[in-house]
Amino acid sequence: MLTLLLGIVIALVCGAAGFWLRQHTKLSVVEVSALLALVAGLILPRVFTAGGLFALICTAVSYAAMCSNKRIKSYLDMLTVSFVCALIIYFGQNVLVGVGGRLGTSAALSVLIFVLISEQFRPDQAQSEQGVKR
Amino acid sequence: MLHYLMICIPLLGAALDIFDVLFTPLGRLIILAAALVGLVAAVRRPSFSLCPQLARSALISLAGAVLTFVLSTQLNLGAVVASALVGLVGAQVLQGQDQVVLYLGAFVGMSSTLRFPSLAPLIVAGLLGGCLFELTDECWVGVGGRLGTIAATAVVIVLVITGGGL
Repeated sequence: MLTLLLGIVIALVCGAAGFWLRQHTKLSVVEVSALLALVAGLILPRVFTAGGLFALICTAVSYAAMCSNKRIKSYLDMLTVSFVCALIIYFGQNVLVGVGGRLGTSAALSVLIFVLISEQFRPDQAQSEQGVKR
Repeated sequence: MLHYLMICIPLLGAALDIFDVLFTPLGRLIILAAALVGLVAAVRRPSFSLCPQLARSALISLAGAVLTFVLSTQLNLGAVVASALVGLVGAQVLQGQDQVVLYLGAFVGMSSTLRFPSLAPLIVAGLLGGCLFELTDECWVGVGGRLGTIAATAVVIVLVITGGGL
């Protein structure tokens, strides 16, 4: 349980860092994601016993941070996605083991869950966005 | 809409894997049927054309996959560090969409040696990843994790055909 809580905290920090990098630097989405994953992959396994898992969580969150500004508009959005992403990685550790792209799939799933939930709570905004698309 | 099936294959695969049926004949049939239907729908879209960009993406993705796999398994850097390195270096060398496709290939290369004991199926998955990037260009636009999902689609399809490894 402590591992999960710590994983969530690390995911939130990573998500916020990713969003900040997207907003305040001229780095491309690939650079932001790769930078976060590299730092997490190098540091976390050396600091924590469950550092390998935390690195996976951070990496997945860094992929989620590649979202466009239309999908994730604020820090709160990014933190929510990071939270969901941490849960999916933690509880899905035994799913698609060794399959490349698993972390990205988890990231995409967390973003889609967030989009679905946020559309339920912000139907007016969703409708207006659909109106703009039309 | 049926071409969305293709990008949903990893989610379908995950659901099947939870029930331990992904690499059974039934699971393989389901994945291959979904891939076939998605592929036909994607190719029949009016916006699709068999342009040189498809081959270019396939080759760039292949390079990303092989580089990451070698860095990860031969130099023991681990999948996360290897893919991040390939992504970072690729972003300095390549421009625009090419760096994105290379990063996609890096995700394919994050696969374990237990899944890909040899390079041949990984090469196929790398090439397939680049092709799928072009075929699913309208799917999940702006969704973080889209590249990884496309990579996972390529890997799952190849694993289902080759037997799944492990």
